[in-house]
Amino acid sequence: MKSFLDPTVWKSRRVQPPNVWSKALLAALVVAGCLSIARFFNWWFREEHIASLALFIVLSGIMWWGVFRMVMLWISYLGMKVPPKPPALKRNLSVAIFTTSSPGEPLSMFDKTLEACARISYPHTTYLLDDTMDPRYKEVAQKHGAVWLELVGYQGAKAGKINEALKKTTEEIILVLDPDHIPFDNFFDEVLGYFNDEKLGYVQVAQAYYNQPLSFTAKAAAEQTYGFYGPTQIGMNGYNCAVAIGANCTFRRKALESIGGHGIGLAEDMITAIRIHGKGWKSIYAPVIVSRGLVPEDLGSFCKQQLKWSRGVHEVLFAELPNQWKGLSAWQRLSYFTIGTYYISGFTMLLFMIFPYLFLFFGFLPANMDFIDFAVHWLPMAFFAITIYLFVQQWLCHPKMERGLHWRGMFLKFACWPVFFKGFILSILNKDIPYIPTEKKAVRGLTRFARPLFLHQAVFILTVFLVVIQRIYFTHEARLALSSGEIWGMVLFATIGFVMTFGGTYAAIESKNIRSREPWNEIDLDAYADQVKKPVSIHPIKEKFL
Amino acid sequence: MKTVVIRFTAVITAVILGIVFFLAMVYLGNKSKGPFEDILSGVDAGIARTENQMLNTRQRRSAALEWFNAYRNNKLYINTIDTLLLGAYDDATQESYENIIQLEDSLKTKLPVVSIYTAWGSKKDQVFPLLRAQALYDLGSIPMITWEPWLNDFDPLYFVHNNSGNADVNKGGLKAIAEGKYDAYIDKWAVDAKKFGMPFFLRWGHEMNDPYRYPWGEQNNLPEDYINAWRHVVNRFRAVGADNAIWIWSPHPAYATYAQFYPGHEFVDWIGFTGLNYGTVATWSQWWAFPDIINNAYNELSLYGKPIMVAEFGSLAVGGKRKTWFKEAFESIYSKYPAIKAVVFFHAANDNSISYKALDWSFKQDTAVLSALRPVIQKK
Repeated sequence: MKSFLDPTVWKSRRVQPPNVWSKALLAALVVAGCLSIARFFNWWFREEHIASLALFIVLSGIMWWGVFRMVMLWISYLGMKVPPKPPALKRNLSVAIFTTSSPGEPLSMFDKTLEACARISYPHTTYLLDDTMDPRYKEVAQKHGAVWLELVGYQGAKAGKINEALKKTTEEIILVLDPDHIPFDNFFDEVLGYFNDEKLGYVQVAQAYYNQPLSFTAKAAAEQTYGFYGPTQIGMNGYNCAVAIGANCTFRRKALESIGGHGIGLAEDMITAIRIHGKGWKSIYAPVIVSRGLVPEDLGSFCKQQLKWSRGVHEVLFAELPNQWKGLSAWQRLSYFTIGTYYISGFTMLLFMIFPYLFLFFGFLPANMDFIDFAVHWLPMAFFAITIYLFVQQWLCHPKMERGLHWRGMFLKFACWPVFFKGFILSILNKDIPYIPTEKKAVRGLTRFARPLFLHQAVFILTVFLVVIQRIYFTHEARLALSSGEIWGMVLFATIGFVMTFGGTYAAIESKNIRSREPWNEIDLDAYADQVKKPVSIHPIKEKFL
Repeated sequence: MKTVVIRFTAVITAVILGIVFFLAMVYLGNKSKGPFEDILSGVDAGIARTENQMLNTRQRRSAALEWFNAYRNNKLYINTIDTLLLGAYDDATQESYENIIQLEDSLKTKLPVVSIYTAWGSKKDQVFPLLRAQALYDLGSIPMITWEPWLNDFDPLYFVHNNSGNADVNKGGLKAIAEGKYDAYIDKWAVDAKKFGMPFFLRWGHEMNDPYRYPWGEQNNLPEDYINAWRHVVNRFRAVGADNAIWIWSPHPAYATYAQFYPGHEFVDWIGFTGLNYGTVATWSQWWAFPDIINNAYNELSLYGKPIMVAEFGSLAVGGKRKTWFKEAFESIYSKYPAIKAVVFFHAANDNSISYKALDWSFKQDTAVLSALRPVIQKK
């Protein structure tokens, strides 16, 4: 992607449904992958591999937890179902867009978003749910024909305002739009027709971004989402367990009302989705790009967002999932469980990184595995995992832009393990963190979230230094040669973790001097007129709420 | 109906294709396992070598054994050695040779020969022990490898003799070796040994004349099969140029049939035999002094004109006085057995090889034995 000003970025896209033969090939890869896993499993759990039973159990837990999640993902791929383009509406639906503004969010961003909302062709009313107590926001709303609702002091931040706005409005269909997302004019054309089905509770569309070229963090953060909004959610859609996550979810008012309004919490969208599923509503995931928004550009903002989500998602796992258990289908339970446990990787990553240090400092070894044997049994599984990962990329929303191994995303995920871990611990302790909207503009400075990475690097360098000293001056020469493979093998193992900190370090240093821009100001909606069609009409302002 | 056919075909195709993909990966994995293992063991040895070169800051054991360099670096010199070499085997050396060092310290000497054992087979640890050989060389010693032709561990996929439905592959095993059924293994081992590059003792198929002990014994094979197998193995080494092996032919001294198994002067460099006193540990044993054990064997085998090695030398503590046994043994070597040029202590603390209970041959804690040994081993 050269620049977000490239017109192809602003083109509406829809994933083509898989044909039976590409599905068959995918199934073949999954069969081969599962056989490889069975072979690996059969090899892994052998008594002679156990060095220390406790550590072996921990290591096995980490390894097989990851494999389990991967298999769940493969199974969801097999169920991939791309909904056809929605049919014509049986009757006209009244439609509202809710977008919220909070103190500190840049005014010019609302100027752009509301302008884009006004251009959406299907007749609708846009509402700005505002608690900034800043009169300029009202002016911007009025400039673009949006209804300005002042909603100050409601508990639950965004969700609280939405619930209050629900009381003041009557539209049957409500799009909850994040204010950093610029919707395309055909947004509702790609969504509304599905609501012909009276049992449909919500339609979630893909979240796509436009500012990822602006920094390493932004690229990496976007890479982490591509697969999720492509094959993963398409697969979950096949089992009717697509989740509403983040922006751009279009709800049926009745569905929201049936659960007593939009869910409140750090993962409010997921809470809402699980409750709606719990009430027996259907959902659709439409793999279409009909808007583009912002992804955090600096490491600090990204980590704050991740902390919020990891705390929130654990709340779904511990509080919501048990409550909704009865109303959910088996696939929905599994799906919410899998998503709810995503951030536990912060904990498993920590354990995984500790292993080489346990050996180097204390001689604790979890497993007696021959490296070559491990490689021979592990590599086929890894091969099929990567092959499947790449194969399903044909069902990404924007393959040309999104394809790849997503190594930046992996680096960034690694850098975030302390954040995930913190979210996990906070959930166990039931400690709250405040709801703050993610920064829309890059924040300069060395974030405190980079500190664990630097600590990790310091521990690694100190350890290598001690190992070298130990071997030069203290290890008996009669032991040197026979122990060198094992010791340096473990140092190599620790080096993997060390190298994985480089991505986060680079992101932190880049963020330290990042130029804070307002990318939305550079977008001229008229310039994409052939992509984003001219608005048909601007809805008249509804005076009654003003 | 058409959809059903297409779907059915798709599912079947997926399953078959999946199995084919999987088998292809397994095949590739098995094919690349050998080369990968070679690379890895090369890397292992390389790292150990680099580390060794970087450690010149310390007092090295090899400095104390410098006098031995002239011998161990030249096969001709060691085959015509004019002094008595001492050596040891210790059974707890998987991670470190510190036990050998401790034995040396308690004997107040350095041991030029260090003995290790390795078996035939297709497993990863049944290749030439490059890392160990190199480690011992770097410590200043010469490796002595006892190489045992057990045939059970070969992969029947690659070794037809293991595949032919024999109830016991060891029956007629030596004939199969002589016929070249295990050449792939022998050649690989020999090539790796050649890569090691330095002379080392190689004791192949020891105690072949004991019909109760090892599968390559008389119970499974004819003596001429042993000779043919021995010559075949030596010839394979010569064919690949692994001339650094010093061949020790090592019969059991208690069975006077040695001559029937002797492969011939041009195939043997040293003659070895065991000198182990089991004391009264079992019903079949009694306290034998060292000359009682080896006298007949020595008298016959010393006529072959080869240097002789007591390849396993030791006494248990049950049934007599160990310190006297050791003292008299050395005295007899100096006075009566001048052809003996090497003595390798069998210093296993946990020997499970012969009876239902573990035997302890170690003596590094036995002060009586140590004080008896110290003066006699110095007297060169």
